[in-house]
Amino acid sequence: MTATRNPTDWRSDAMRRRIARRYAAERRFKLAGLLAVLLSAAFLAFLLVTMMGNGLRGFTRTEIAVKVDFPASPLLLDPNAITDQALANANLPMVTGEVVKKALGADAEEWVSPTAWTALRDAIKADPKILSRTETVRLPASTAIDLAAKGKGSSEAEAAVDRLNKAGVLSTGFNMGFLTASDGTDPTQVGIWGAFKGSLLTMLVTLALSFPVGVATAVYLEEYARKNWMTDIIEVSINNLAAVPSIIFGLLGLSIFLNVLHLPRSASLVGGMTLALMTMPVIVIAGRNAIKSVPPSIRDAALGIGASPVQVVFHHVLPLALPGILTGTIIGMARALGETAPLLMIGMRAFIATPPGGIVDPATVLPVQIFLWSDEVSKGFVEKTSAAIIVLLIFLLAMNGLAIYLRNKFERRW
Amino acid sequence: MTGPAILLLLAGLGAIAWVSARARAMRLQTAARASGRRDAVHSLPGYHGWYVALWTLVPAGIFLAVWANVAPGLVMQDVLSSPAAQSLPADDFSRSAVLGEARAIATGNQAGAFNPLSQGLVEPYKDAIGKYGIAGAALALVLAFAGGAYAFTRVRPDFRARTRVERLVMATLLIASLLAIITTLGIVASLLWESFRFFSMVSPVDFLFGVKWSPQSAALGYGNDDAFGAVPLFWGTIFIGAIIAMVVAIPLGLMSAIYLTQYASPTVRKWMKPTLEMLAGVPTVVYGYFAALTIAPALRDFAVKIGIHGASSESALAAGLVMGVMIIPFVSSMADDSIAAVPQSMRDGSLAMGATTSETIRRVLIPAALPGVVGGVLLAVSRAIGETMIVVMAAGLAANLTLNPFASVTTVTTQIVQLLTGDQEFDSAKTLAAFALGLVLFIVTLLLNIVALRVVKKYREAYE
Amino acid sequence: MTAMIQNQESMTPAVETKMTARDVKVFYGEKQAIKGVSIDVDMDNVTAFIGPSGCGKSTFLRTLNRMNDTVASARVEGTITLDGEDIYAPSMDVVQLRARVGMVFQKPNPFPKSIYENIAYGPRIHGLAHGKADLDVIVEKSLRRAGLWDEVKDRLHDSGTALSGGQQQRLCIGRAIAVEPEVILMDEPCSALDPIATAKIEELIHELRGRYAIVIVTHNMQQAARVSQRTAFFHLGELVEYGVTSDIFTNPKAERTKDYITGRYG
Repeated sequence: MTATRNPTDWRSDAMRRRIARRYAAERRFKLAGLLAVLLSAAFLAFLLVTMMGNGLRGFTRTEIAVKVDFPASPLLLDPNAITDQALANANLPMVTGEVVKKALGADAEEWVSPTAWTALRDAIKADPKILSRTETVRLPASTAIDLAAKGKGSSEAEAAVDRLNKAGVLSTGFNMGFLTASDGTDPTQVGIWGAFKGSLLTMLVTLALSFPVGVATAVYLEEYARKNWMTDIIEVSINNLAAVPSIIFGLLGLSIFLNVLHLPRSASLVGGMTLALMTMPVIVIAGRNAIKSVPPSIRDAALGIGASPVQVVFHHVLPLALPGILTGTIIGMARALGETAPLLMIGMRAFIATPPGGIVDPATVLPVQIFLWSDEVSKGFVEKTSAAIIVLLIFLLAMNGLAIYLRNKFERRW
Repeated sequence: MTGPAILLLLAGLGAIAWVSARARAMRLQTAARASGRRDAVHSLPGYHGWYVALWTLVPAGIFLAVWANVAPGLVMQDVLSSPAAQSLPADDFSRSAVLGEARAIATGNQAGAFNPLSQGLVEPYKDAIGKYGIAGAALALVLAFAGGAYAFTRVRPDFRARTRVERLVMATLLIASLLAIITTLGIVASLLWESFRFFSMVSPVDFLFGVKWSPQSAALGYGNDDAFGAVPLFWGTIFIGAIIAMVVAIPLGLMSAIYLTQYASPTVRKWMKPTLEMLAGVPTVVYGYFAALTIAPALRDFAVKIGIHGASSESALAAGLVMGVMIIPFVSSMADDSIAAVPQSMRDGSLAMGATTSETIRRVLIPAALPGVVGGVLLAVSRAIGETMIVVMAAGLAANLTLNPFASVTTVTTQIVQLLTGDQEFDSAKTLAAFALGLVLFIVTLLLNIVALRVVKKYREAYE
Repeated sequence: MTAMIQNQESMTPAVETKMTARDVKVFYGEKQAIKGVSIDVDMDNVTAFIGPSGCGKSTFLRTLNRMNDTVASARVEGTITLDGEDIYAPSMDVVQLRARVGMVFQKPNPFPKSIYENIAYGPRIHGLAHGKADLDVIVEKSLRRAGLWDEVKDRLHDSGTALSGGQQQRLCIGRAIAVEPEVILMDEPCSALDPIATAKIEELIHELRGRYAIVIVTHNMQQAARVSQRTAFFHLGELVEYGVTSDIFTNPKAERTKDYITGRYG
């Protein structure tokens, strides 16, 4: 205790205040971190809630119950000879207009959808006997009425909805057409089937091209490639491709696939090829990591009993690495499924009213359909766009969920 | 003979080749073993099967692929030399329309002809297609037989079939991995070639340093060079992607990473981390729609309320904000990795001095992790400036040089989409400009990535 | 709990006791790492903790400045006091405690900052310096006490990580000294160093003795014999024997201590 010491007086007021300040700063900092997390999560929640709020209505449609006195209607049909041909010749659109006017008033023809006659046709087809009696048929409402019934219509349509409500004929039903129809001009009649099928075909092409090539590249680079300048170039290329903006792939597709190879414009084939180029690096990188995680002892064991290098890889390494490769593939495919920009470049933004029959037919995909509908001025498209987004998000969630499940189920610790 | 039929036939031949070669190899090897020459047996019978099957299929397959590209030309030649072709119209457009229709009818894709001229060409078409179809199929089959027979004669007990088959497997793997190089070259070549054509019409100096962007007027006024000045686009891209988006993403991403790695309980981390990562999984078209439908109008109303002049419903701020949110998980995971790479001993050292957790984070962990964080931010910027759909849907088309975040600006990617969609004549300066913009975007993102990866790599090495 | 053999009779009664531990137990989750240790650390002597690896000596050391708080699963029972104050009491501020009880780690861990900033870090966060000139004085004084001043005075703004291993460790000691602690805990401070650097650190410990209460954990018995006046022998989480260093090494009371010192295990 001989040396001079100047012990800090921790009990002094100044020091106590200082420590209190430091703890306050600590709490503020922690709070800022918590706020950052919550803000990010809140944005996600806000986005999802907005989409749900707008989109769930897109799955429903407003229907108007119309009492149809079939014998008194201008319908000329023999209940015993109902064929598609007979129905086609019966001028149902006109008849529908007449029965609606008769049931709800002279201005009511505008209230039902232009395709309401198909509901009448289906009712007759389902039970031809109704032709001899009076029957209530639910007809889909027009866009204006539909919007007004969902609370977003014009004042004129609101008035009509009030009248219909008083008559007690309005109801809400599941809009099956949204899942089975394709693009159209009237928001009450559009559906996602065409875009969905386009997405499916495009994804098939993407998978068929990117998976074998991606896995083969991963195997080559990880197992066989000697360290030389060519391997370096391959690696640099793959890493760069993984970072290239997606729209650049669209430019490549446009100038090479369309303008040089003259492949069909707007087709799933070209879309799939373009997306395959984007997905391949993802699969290669995931594949290499999966292959790398297979311990060398397994390779040594197989080589030790006289297996050839190719046998080692195909009999031992690949089966063990497969879950990892599949996880990476699903994640890459999910990204491709949500991709829009490169497909716009190769003409997949065309108006496609019929689902594509094959991979060379003009097609569109779900994200592009969302983009096209978002551009529509008609108010009815807002809920359809959001509904399509919900469908897309559900698929992406399912794919990512599958990837996580695979990873957890097959994850191996060596 | 139709395509699917010939492919099916070839597949059948391949299967027969596989089975018979395998059987022969088995028989020969059994005999060899019986006579005591065990060492003379090299490959398993299955490999002999594959060897012969591949010799049957590969040459024929390659021939068919070539033939599929050559045959239409030959067919066309035949059709044009037919007597009915003499009456074809002279101009290219109607000529190809008639030919196309005739072909559609001949292959059964179309029921009847609109143009009577086409009807006359259907028969020559059918004849020619039939003729070359049969010729191709016959040649393919001959090749398959020849290949198979050659390989079959080589099946001996000591023949190294496995080595040969594996050599082909290796070659296939190598070719697959070369595809990455080919794709990169394809991108570079197509961008360079189209940009070169663009720069033969518009001076690169005007393009890179011009401040007036109005491709529409250039298309109308022919060669009005001033209209391709891309500076407003570059500014818009930087303003949205590198400034506004980063102002959102860097603090939120960094603070989220800090909170989740340093403060949160394991349960909170387990749930919040994947939740935040979902932000990166939402398709950009959804963000774009959200920005255009919800954020942009709200921001415009806000701007009008506080009296900002020139507020647009397609604002830089709306696009930048939403893009920033999209980038959060990206910044967050890079920051997470960088902070985790700082040795625990640094943290202990600081805490043992009596520093609080936040002091340790701010004064020791972040400075130590800074290179990694900076690298991550550069990668995030490169992703943000290449992002397309959000800006296409929310940022607008007006090429303004403005600092007002509530005004509308346009970006490189927006203009690429704008220039290339719709029915443009491909060779016009307007469409080619899109490729020049693409080239700039490609180079910039590439450089950002290279620099970022260098920085991150150097940083990692410092602690290993 | 444990039979504790203390060579109390050989201790001089005049020493100022700085820290006391009574029946301290440490758990990591279900596993008990320290099984009821009681010990006094005094001001004038260097105390060495020795024992085979995994015996709990480092764990116990970390309880003395509550560094175990940073391990989520760790739990401490018993009482530890500093100048009579319970350091695990709610009223005790851990930030203050760690400023008063400094620590030097096994592997030198200078911050990736300049030499100057490494030393200045503690005074800055605790607000001990009043102005730049004052800070300069503290940095010089701390570096002098750590025996590093002459080697680094011309390059104070070079990175601390650019120094040699021994210099880095002395920098870390200087960093700990800069906040004027009362106790310095050293966790095998020389285990990552070469013999010459080790000798310098040991010399430094001699010089620091008396100014600070020093506790050093070491797996090297010769080192314990060279630098310490009191030695505690730990085995399997128990304090087996504690006493004057020369007694422990020449005349151990417990069988286990004897076995360890004569090299039967370790």
